[in-house]
Amino acid sequence: MTNEAPKRRRVTLPLLRRESIGDSYHVLSFDDPEGTPAVAGQFAMVRGERWGDAPLLARPMNYLTSGHTPSILVKVKDDASARLARAEPGEPFSVLGPLGRPWREPTPGCRPVLVGGCVGIAPLLFLARQLAAEGARPISVYGGRSERDLPLDDELGELTDMHVTTEDGTRGTRGRATDVLEALLAPGVEVFTCGPDRMMARVAELCAHRDVPCEVSLDTPMACGYGVCLGCPVPTTQGGYLYACVSGPCVDARAIAWTPGESP
Amino acid sequence: MNPLAVRVGDVELDNPVLTASGCFGYGLEYDDFYDVARLGGICTKGLSLHPRAGSAPVRICETPSGMLNAIGLANVGVEAFCRDKLPELRARGVTVVANVFGESIEDFVAVARRLDADTGVTAIELNVSYPTQEGLELGRDAATCARLTRAVRDATRLPLWVKLSPETGDVVAVARACEGAGADAITAINTIRGLAIDAETRRPRLHDGSGGLSGPALRPIALRIVWDLASALRIPVVGVGGICTARDALEFLLAGASAVQVGTANFQDPCAALNVLVGLRRHCERLGVTVKELIGAARAKP
Repeated sequence: MTNEAPKRRRVTLPLLRRESIGDSYHVLSFDDPEGTPAVAGQFAMVRGERWGDAPLLARPMNYLTSGHTPSILVKVKDDASARLARAEPGEPFSVLGPLGRPWREPTPGCRPVLVGGCVGIAPLLFLARQLAAEGARPISVYGGRSERDLPLDDELGELTDMHVTTEDGTRGTRGRATDVLEALLAPGVEVFTCGPDRMMARVAELCAHRDVPCEVSLDTPMACGYGVCLGCPVPTTQGGYLYACVSGPCVDARAIAWTPGESP
Repeated sequence: MNPLAVRVGDVELDNPVLTASGCFGYGLEYDDFYDVARLGGICTKGLSLHPRAGSAPVRICETPSGMLNAIGLANVGVEAFCRDKLPELRARGVTVVANVFGESIEDFVAVARRLDADTGVTAIELNVSYPTQEGLELGRDAATCARLTRAVRDATRLPLWVKLSPETGDVVAVARACEGAGADAITAINTIRGLAIDAETRRPRLHDGSGGLSGPALRPIALRIVWDLASALRIPVVGVGGICTARDALEFLLAGASAVQVGTANFQDPCAALNVLVGLRRHCERLGVTVKELIGAARAKP
């Protein structure tokens, strides 16, 4: 696995297919004949070329896969994700990427633990696939509100020793991903997490307490995605800000000044 | 002969397409996309005397055909700019307009002096509008704006552009006052203050509350103000506000702008400014006209 950032490009890619998962989730796969050189943890700014002036801005989406069929996982939460959820095969999309700092290389010999919530699963699944190709088998903890909030769990279960949690108890352990994580923290473990801010803050806290390395994948509003709008600041423990699109999205959890309780 | 060459006062530009302050970083982030030296010039992120970290998140949100920003004037500070960014820009042959702001007239003067001491900046553009700060709107009032312009005019030999906001009651009066105080050009317009509220959280979407509106939604207002200013002033007008395509840029030139700035469009497409330039060039070639012939043509008597 490489941590070098490949050159960014903005290309028009047709949608190959859109697969719905339940009511809320969609996997959009694009056709990239040149091959997208993204690695796990990187993201793209995605926008429908037929959108006109509204929605105006592209949306930051973690790569689920790269290569000749780059794909993203979408959950409907605003105008732009609603448009993505209605995308039809053949529809042209402008895709700017690969962007951002990918997941770091796990220390050889460590046991990676992937902690995911909601659409945070995408960059973690990408990481799991990369690790599997290297012969590693991480542990994963996948949490959702209910059994309907665990998209792509089948593939995650194949590549990792997976623990599932749901807040309503409809699947797996009743409770939150972070409840299960605590018992898994041990010397030799390295944590990679992506999900709601509140979840990542709790993961960071648990890992810091047990002195376990922890990397998070940040999700913030963004306008440009490539470092010029200054719209994606994340407060750091140094007192200033880092910019999620260029210093992240994958960042050491200890660098972030988490504010528990503040919604993203 | 270069059909795209323009003059903004004494400043000669290879073409009329610049980038707007706050929408292009420091011009060094585009290596993967194109050579920004091809543009008429770039306007830096607003430079202050001391570095500023900027406002707390959330700083941006999308609105219909536009966006609001409350970045809080985050920048590396004029010293770090001159030391770390400007030499690289000059080495690449980029024409640099330094956008500048200050918490006080004294701060503006200090920044202008620092830029004046360096070779390499083509002009200074004064940001006199703070859509996100209370009580610091030096550009709101003709007399204060003129006093600021005069103070900076006395502190630098560099060409001086004043970037005005339509938040002023009478932008023509403020512009005339700046002209009288020694400004070489007026840049119009900066953002207009807007608001978005999240109905779920029942709070404004931006941490600072209101923010500056930019993008296509702003364009008809910006264009009207450029028209009014070009009609009223002797000094040139640089037009900005929602320009996304060559066609948009043409409208501003026809209204009387001597040059244009492309801003928010760069967020959607890093090549937006280049595309505007290429489109303008094609338009001029197709019609066999120069840009200079187009400037103000929509206001000429038929």
